[in-house]
Amino acid sequence: MKQEELDKRLLEVEGQLIGIERTAANRVYLLCESENVYPICLFLFDTLALRFVISTGVDAEHCFEVLHHFTDDACGCMVTVKAFIRDRESPEIESITPLIAGAEWIEREMHDILGIKFRNHPNLKRLILNDDWPEGVYPLRKEVQR
Amino acid sequence: MNWKMWALKKSVWVFHVNCGACNNCDIEIVNLLTPKFDVERFGIKLVGSPRHADALLVTGAGTRQAAVRLREVYRQTAKPCVVFCMGACACGMGIFEGAYHIAGPIDKIVKEVDPNAIVAYVPGCPPKPEAMISGVVKALAAI
Amino acid sequence: MSEALTNVFWILVFPGFVFTLAVGLFASWLVRKVSALVQWRVGPPVYQPAVDVMKLMGKEILIPESAHRAVFVTAPLVGLSGVLLLATMLWLAGAGTAFVGDIIVAIYLMVLPSLALILGSSASGSPHASVGAAREMKLVLGYELPLVLAFVVVIIKTAGRLEAAEQLSLVALAQHAPVLSISGLLAFVVALLCVQAKLGFVPFDIAESEAELASGVMIEYSGALLAVWKLMQAMMLVALPLFLVVVFLGGLGTSGLGVLGGIGKYVLVVVLVILIKNTNPRVRIDQAMRFFWCYCGTALVAAVILATLGNYYGLRWL
Repeated sequence: MKQEELDKRLLEVEGQLIGIERTAANRVYLLCESENVYPICLFLFDTLALRFVISTGVDAEHCFEVLHHFTDDACGCMVTVKAFIRDRESPEIESITPLIAGAEWIEREMHDILGIKFRNHPNLKRLILNDDWPEGVYPLRKEVQR
Repeated sequence: MNWKMWALKKSVWVFHVNCGACNNCDIEIVNLLTPKFDVERFGIKLVGSPRHADALLVTGAGTRQAAVRLREVYRQTAKPCVVFCMGACACGMGIFEGAYHIAGPIDKIVKEVDPNAIVAYVPGCPPKPEAMISGVVKALAAI
Repeated sequence: MSEALTNVFWILVFPGFVFTLAVGLFASWLVRKVSALVQWRVGPPVYQPAVDVMKLMGKEILIPESAHRAVFVTAPLVGLSGVLLLATMLWLAGAGTAFVGDIIVAIYLMVLPSLALILGSSASGSPHASVGAAREMKLVLGYELPLVLAFVVVIIKTAGRLEAAEQLSLVALAQHAPVLSISGLLAFVVALLCVQAKLGFVPFDIAESEAELASGVMIEYSGALLAVWKLMQAMMLVALPLFLVVVFLGGLGTSGLGVLGGIGKYVLVVVLVILIKNTNPRVRIDQAMRFFWCYCGTALVAAVILATLGNYYGLRWL
């Protein structure tokens, strides 16, 4: 669909967002709290039929951020859902793997490296850390020294 | 020099081990074994099993997972054998110094199994095939 | 007493072990040098295969824990002895000493190296080796039948011109050149491809495929045992083309120009094997079996029919 139509359809979920950022004409960030991430991704994937690209996990100083990137190949627009996890002690978020099977491994990687727990993930096992890495040490968190 | 060492210098069978490399050094090793550089005239041949090998061409900084496997491969290589550390990551840790997933450079990993291991270093990122040939020839002359 | 000593000399020195080994190592070098020249590069020096074997003798022998020790160690020796006997028999047949039915003995002895390879790799206790053994078994099932049928074609062709008692004798066969006829040519081509498979060369080096199976059948062998396998392969490079020369191309010749011609024929067969090796990719095991059973089988059936017709009507060119 065209860029203008995409922009108009994105406004349908505005009620669940805390903001919409536009860094370029074809780069949209939908900011939300971690509770609303699943319905928004459901809307983007099922209703708007966008393609899931990859996810990113970020350790911002006072919270965690989980970004899910979607793209509309027809107009070349990248739509990112940026979910804030406010609880730094035990970060938890809904997993989108039941909706998109391709998200399984990237969520496992985020769990390994940042310690974010994904609820309803079918297979939240260790993925890229080696077998005798100690449990509970998350290497890419800001407070972890080498 | 006894006949075993002389024969070893004239016929070096190599086995390539990637211990967490970015594949740049691996591509250069595969380039080295193509007909353009013709290492067969030195007696160098690529073999598919470490038990047949005289030299291990090791690339990569040595991740924790790969360290376990590298020790096993070194044990399976019939002695006498030489370990060639190809590339900056294998010689020291390269740009991965201080990273959480590295178990130390290659010579440290190999010397945990065999403190008397013969290790040769070919630096470069990646080393050119000519540099690799020069390194192998110099190492064999020095044994 | 001196008869026994002569036999021992024949088996161990000339034309047995030492001589065949020297020719085999030279033939191995020839394979590598011609391959190098075809690929526009220089290739190894002439002493390279000998140095390879020397180096392997100087390395330690590692036997995996899960391997069956007795079979693991004796399998290469069994293969080596099979090739040794075959080579000795063939040189002597080329020179005029043979016995009735020796072609059957030769066919049996030719299976022995492949069988030893299968046994040795099955005893290695490694999944790669067992896959290699399974593929080698299937390959042997594939090419043994066409190989024997090719020799049957030759026997049919010469049946009309030999005494019945001499039919199955290599010396008698060596005096005719069955390749100079259509059925003989067909049989020679098929036998050449079967020999290619038996030698373990591309396009049929499925069992020892380097990149796929990490050296398949020989993955767990090292040191002196691996040297014995390499020696066996070198001697097979002598025995099998020699067999083709004796059966199809008219033997080695016993004196003067005949001997030179014989050597030339041997080199020709080896070079044919090398060229097929260098210009083809490796085939899968199911493609190989289909090739041997369907295409080679059909060609041989045609050759048998032509040979029988040629015999019946007395036409030597059929």
